[in-house]
Amino acid sequence: MKVTTSTSGTASVAAVEGRVDSANAKDLDQELGAIIDSGGSRLVVDCSNLRYISSAGLRALLVAIKRTNKEGGGVAMCNVPEHIREVLEVSGFTRLTKVFGTVEEAAGSFA
Amino acid sequence: MRPAAGQIELDASLEVRVEPRPAEPRRVAEIFERFAEEHDLPPQVLMRMELALDEALTNVVSYAFPEESGDAVITVGMDIRERRVRICIEDNGPPFDPLTEAPEPDVEAPAEEREIGGLGVHLAKTFVETLRYERVDGRNRLTLEQSLEDQPENSPS
Repeated sequence: MKVTTSTSGTASVAAVEGRVDSANAKDLDQELGAIIDSGGSRLVVDCSNLRYISSAGLRALLVAIKRTNKEGGGVAMCNVPEHIREVLEVSGFTRLTKVFGTVEEAAGSFA
Repeated sequence: MRPAAGQIELDASLEVRVEPRPAEPRRVAEIFERFAEEHDLPPQVLMRMELALDEALTNVVSYAFPEESGDAVITVGMDIRERRVRICIEDNGPPFDPLTEAPEPDVEAPAEEREIGGLGVHLAKTFVETLRYERVDGRNRLTLEQSLEDQPENSPS
């Protein structure tokens, strides 16, 4: 897994690549936590190159959603491949975070 | 068991020995990926079964053997037979039926009230046609089974 951080407008963008499962979900938790710690409570998660996510990865995402919500921001997802979207839907995460087509749309949703 | 000569190539099976370590579910999931690709399973079946396998095996290696246990025996069998894919996870840990004993997650709750426990089992139940738990000869056996005849084109949600 690789997380690349950038900004778009007022939002922080975390591009998560590869595979997130129980073996490395802790790393995702730390990466997203570090972004939120440094003020990124409007967080875009770019899933363009996210190949796989299990419930352990969703747990890390839930932590980020709770934290950013509390700070008045939130998590918006974008470029979600169909099979990942299915996982998000089945686990009810599409109720917790909005899914957009592009980074710009996701970042713009916080405006 | 190798398919007998003359059998169609799609019939195949593989058994993997698993250690009770956190890195193992990924290794086994990737073995299943290769197995599925070699036998031309549809990508959607591959993805759904891989996730179910990963979730179920993660539970076993995380919870079934709480202490350093030299006598832990975990095996994962996978086979394709008569247009059905089957994954069989066995362990000699204490009896645990994940299908009834794992907490049922509330996937409609708001984030603040959301608990993540049980989500793996929920995903497995949603993504795989048949899940079956048995306690056999002192071992837990969880079987995941999916027909290849009826492609699940419908979204599970």
